[in-house]
Amino acid sequence: MSTLDKTAELVLPTPPRRAPKVWALVALLGLILAWAFVGTGFDPVALVQGVPKMIDMASRSWPASYSLVVDPSAYQFPHRLTLEQLLLPVPLHGDLAYVKTAWWQNTWPNTLLGGTLQTIQMAVAGTVLAAIIAFPISFLAARNTSPDRSVYMAVKSVNNFLRSIPDFAIGLVLISAIGLGAFTGVMALTFGTATVLIKLFAEAIEGVDPGVVEAVQATGANRLQVYSFAVVPQIVPSFISFVIYRFESNIRAATVLGLIGAGGIGELMTSYFRMFQYQEAAMTVIVLIVLVMIVDFTSARLRKLVI
Amino acid sequence: MSEPVLSVRRLSKRYGEGAPILRDVSLDFEAGEFTAILGLSGAGKSTFLRCLNRLVEPSGGEILVPSTLLDRQGGQIDVGKFGSRDLRLWRRKVGMIFQQFNLVKRLTVLENVLSGSLGYAPGVPSMLRFFSAEDKRRALRALDRVGLLPFAYQRADSVSGGQQQRVAIARALMQRPAVILADEPVASLDPKLSLAILDLLRKVGQEDGITVLVSLHVLDLAKRFSGRCIGFAGGEVVFDGSPEGLDEIAVRRIYQARTEELKAYPIPT
Repeated sequence: MSTLDKTAELVLPTPPRRAPKVWALVALLGLILAWAFVGTGFDPVALVQGVPKMIDMASRSWPASYSLVVDPSAYQFPHRLTLEQLLLPVPLHGDLAYVKTAWWQNTWPNTLLGGTLQTIQMAVAGTVLAAIIAFPISFLAARNTSPDRSVYMAVKSVNNFLRSIPDFAIGLVLISAIGLGAFTGVMALTFGTATVLIKLFAEAIEGVDPGVVEAVQATGANRLQVYSFAVVPQIVPSFISFVIYRFESNIRAATVLGLIGAGGIGELMTSYFRMFQYQEAAMTVIVLIVLVMIVDFTSARLRKLVI
Repeated sequence: MSEPVLSVRRLSKRYGEGAPILRDVSLDFEAGEFTAILGLSGAGKSTFLRCLNRLVEPSGGEILVPSTLLDRQGGQIDVGKFGSRDLRLWRRKVGMIFQQFNLVKRLTVLENVLSGSLGYAPGVPSMLRFFSAEDKRRALRALDRVGLLPFAYQRADSVSGGQQQRVAIARALMQRPAVILADEPVASLDPKLSLAILDLLRKVGQEDGITVLVSLHVLDLAKRFSGRCIGFAGGEVVFDGSPEGLDEIAVRRIYQARTEELKAYPIPT
């Protein structure tokens, strides 16, 4: 008989009774669910009635207008310029130079391919700018690297406040302040991304091994030397991974910002829908899906490379 | 007798209203002395070492050091009164070795050694990890001394534990230290590596005239390597003398609360 078999002299602890609590919780969840459905006017009938309309819209979107991408006429190339003159940085004079600039500024961004590339440009510019801004500020927003507790509290709470403003609201404010266009979109993305990156970076900084920080401090290094030797090498992988992740979500965010007129493929999509050009709109959606897939795939690859 | 490198006077430390970690510790350390600090966990060994370079702020007392160590004229100055600039000048003369090695894992072995020169290096270039050719030569020589020259360009976390501790010693040597504080330097290493690391610490101490303070919890290692043993118990010095003086009574005083266990597990002599 092993020692484990001698249970007789054990004083058994009473297991907790939790049955009534579980029922109360289930009832509460049911009430919350009912509240949410009633408040939003849950109406399955309307959904079923809408089905024919959906089918109608789908049939009118079919086939998607592939010519928007593959047909050269969709790009409205100016006939006065050769393709070489238009695409390569060759010197042009007077009128021709004007035609070239006008095409690049007005026509190209409104083609499906141009709009897609502009969306990527917006995401790249907004994400990189935000990372550059967030990097130094995150050191002030981390408990272990902030020069002073009051600085830490101030930076952190201001950042929390700014982060709670939705990107969409920032976009609307910026559009009324600096006008429509991709630049406005970039600024809105920068703002929204910087506040999130500051929080993520600061949390990564707070997670560094304090022993290493102590060891570098003990060599007589000053504050900035300690940051660059003990803190930065420890956080670089997570920083890069956060930036890539934000780039991914900024591709989507840039599209949404396009809906309110801040450039890129999103702007094209809204205008096609508004003009009932469903085949063109469908093509835009297809391009968008392909874009998101490519970005997801490459960023996953990139992140693996870093970590 | 020469002027001590470190004169600790009535050093104390307590956190808030809690029980004191150090109570009125007074000790002198001569140049080139190799001292083992013994005691149970929580006896105050680690706090004592960290007070000396103020990684832990002392609550009271003085730590007197010759002002020549900070390239100044005059007699002794109190580490406790240093401003941030003087504190950095003092810290760069004090190498520190840790139980967990505390290397920057993602940097190379060489960069870790070079971090020992941060207290001397000009600010902006060193922040960008640019060091002078002379610093690099010294770092490579330091690596050669600890026998790790071939590993210079490997990442620090790619070498073994014992090798990492050697890198940490090279980093300390890079500081041109007057004092090396080693806080349980062999507690994470196997017995064979422990001997090698302590032997290396004693050797560099002798060759460069560095005062070495090593906290250990293995009595046998302390007896074997040190010229002087100091026993801590309850934040107080309960023994200070040569290893030969560590008789059974002294050992009991150091490990006071555990006399029964000492009988159960006699220390081999």
